[in-house]
Amino acid sequence: MTMAKVATDRIDQTAALDVAAARADFPILKETVYGRPLVYLDSAASAQKPRAVLDAVQEAYEKRYSNVHRGAHRLSQLATDAFEEARETVARFINARSADEIIFTRNATEAINLVAASYGRTFLAAGDEIVLTEMEHHANIVPWQLLRDQIGVVLRIVPIDDDGVLRLDSLAALFGPRTRLVAVTHCSNVLGTVNPVQEIVRLAHDHGVPVVVDGSQGIVHAGADMQAMDADFYAFTGHKLYGPSGIGVLYGKQDLLERMPPYQGGGEMIDHVSFAKTTFKTPPHRFEAGTPPIVQAIGLAAAVRYVSALGMDAIRAHEQALLAEATAALEQVGGVRIFGRAPGKAAIISFLVGSLHPYDVAAVLDRDGVAVRVGQHCAEPLMARLGVDGTARASFALYNDGTDVEALVKAIHKAKRLLG
Amino acid sequence: MTDLSRYEEFAEALEMIDDEEMRFEYIIDLGRQYERDDPFPQEWKIETNLMHGCMSKVWIVDDVDDDGRHHFRGHSDAIIVNGLVGMMTEAFSGLTGAELQTITVDHVRRLNLGALTTQRQVGMMAMLKHLQKLGRGNGAMAGAENHDDHS
Ligand SMILES: Cc1ncc(COP(=O)(O)O)c(C=O)c1O
Repeated sequence: MTMAKVATDRIDQTAALDVAAARADFPILKETVYGRPLVYLDSAASAQKPRAVLDAVQEAYEKRYSNVHRGAHRLSQLATDAFEEARETVARFINARSADEIIFTRNATEAINLVAASYGRTFLAAGDEIVLTEMEHHANIVPWQLLRDQIGVVLRIVPIDDDGVLRLDSLAALFGPRTRLVAVTHCSNVLGTVNPVQEIVRLAHDHGVPVVVDGSQGIVHAGADMQAMDADFYAFTGHKLYGPSGIGVLYGKQDLLERMPPYQGGGEMIDHVSFAKTTFKTPPHRFEAGTPPIVQAIGLAAAVRYVSALGMDAIRAHEQALLAEATAALEQVGGVRIFGRAPGKAAIISFLVGSLHPYDVAAVLDRDGVAVRVGQHCAEPLMARLGVDGTARASFALYNDGTDVEALVKAIHKAKRLLG
Repeated sequence: MTDLSRYEEFAEALEMIDDEEMRFEYIIDLGRQYERDDPFPQEWKIETNLMHGCMSKVWIVDDVDDDGRHHFRGHSDAIIVNGLVGMMTEAFSGLTGAELQTITVDHVRRLNLGALTTQRQVGMMAMLKHLQKLGRGNGAMAGAENHDDHS
């Protein structure tokens, strides 16, 4: 708890991020790989965890652990309080109207599947149209395809331009009498493009169409205010937001959630069960069948408090400066092709080095301690649009600094030398 | 007797290099050498020759001679993987289907020596399994005569 206290003491929303202090909050960054300092540029896949999160998890298990909403005993009460407090912390973080709009899931993928299964199968019918974009992660494609196969909805795809900007004109033109849902990512995990979700929501609502936003990257790099955005559903995942793995969030507008049937059945989500008839709890508990990820939720709340204390604006400013620095440095290397040039993009850089295979490049980088992701990034349709089999991807987080950019560039030069 | 002389040569060559970084570069050189000296025919890069489940594409073809010995050729567009698949296919060529089944994880481990990340080690184990599958005659280009070799 001491670290959380330290972090809170640092609250100063106008101050620039103290990166050295922030780095020191992440124990894993002191690790070496192959005897070299770790240069972690894979936070878009999963971010590292600050001490405040590790401590919160440890403390929950050591002092307040029990099942929630069940025992009539003291520990269960403490665990339940901490779990429900976590819900409130998350609700405040995204400016939801109420904690009842926050459903805890395993990850973003489960959150989107919940919407597809519960909302989709209830309110959509054969021939209804769902609008997706070319830049979606598989997590925001496949659940809708499953729904298509189950009930016969039609998927319509909004294209991107060559800079990786969503074609809003095409989106506007796609609305028709059968359009029932828009599912769009807040921020692309490949291109870094931050979509104007507020505008998209307004456009969709003008047509009476609700919007599901995949906020897995957006919540980290752009922040999210539910009342300003007015999205109907917003899904994100804890592990990318410096929280534990195994916890995700589905925000849903209360009136929608109340009209939706359960996603899974079991304990925790019922009001009364008999073999003849079962009645269900109200949201959010209706959608949380079985023992929830209790400690993970508590860990996520600690992560949310941590980034809030540093200041989301300060983090964003820091990441933007790093993005500019890294982009300029990569352009200096020669032969580096960057995918995604959208104005205002997040600090995610997908790239290829000349004709080198991205897998080779990543392997040489790895030997230098530089961790990047390589491959299709769970976005095969986007890869097809870009005309590549895969890319390498460097993604930046609050704890990265100029030395990481230098290490990346140096390792790319080495890759060119060794492989070229 | 199973002739593993080519395998032994690779294992010894790797063992002589006592620096991890150098072993890594050895694999890269190997990958480049195969590409230069004995390029994999373009027409072999077809779906039936693809080994599935790899991060980068890997093609392996199997030619069985009159004595029932398997002669493998492999390729990947990634140089490092090309080095690994080239080494694996060369090291374990010339064996019968039955002999191939006697190759173990420990043999493959000797070709790693820590120079490679777990993912690539797993990749090499998958390659071994694939060669053994071809050795059993389940592969696209493998001869059917080897069914009997394996009990
Ligand atoms: C844009 C986007 N959507 C969804 C996901 C899925 O997240 P998770 O695997 O935690 O459900 C990811 C992360 O891989 C992502 O980047």
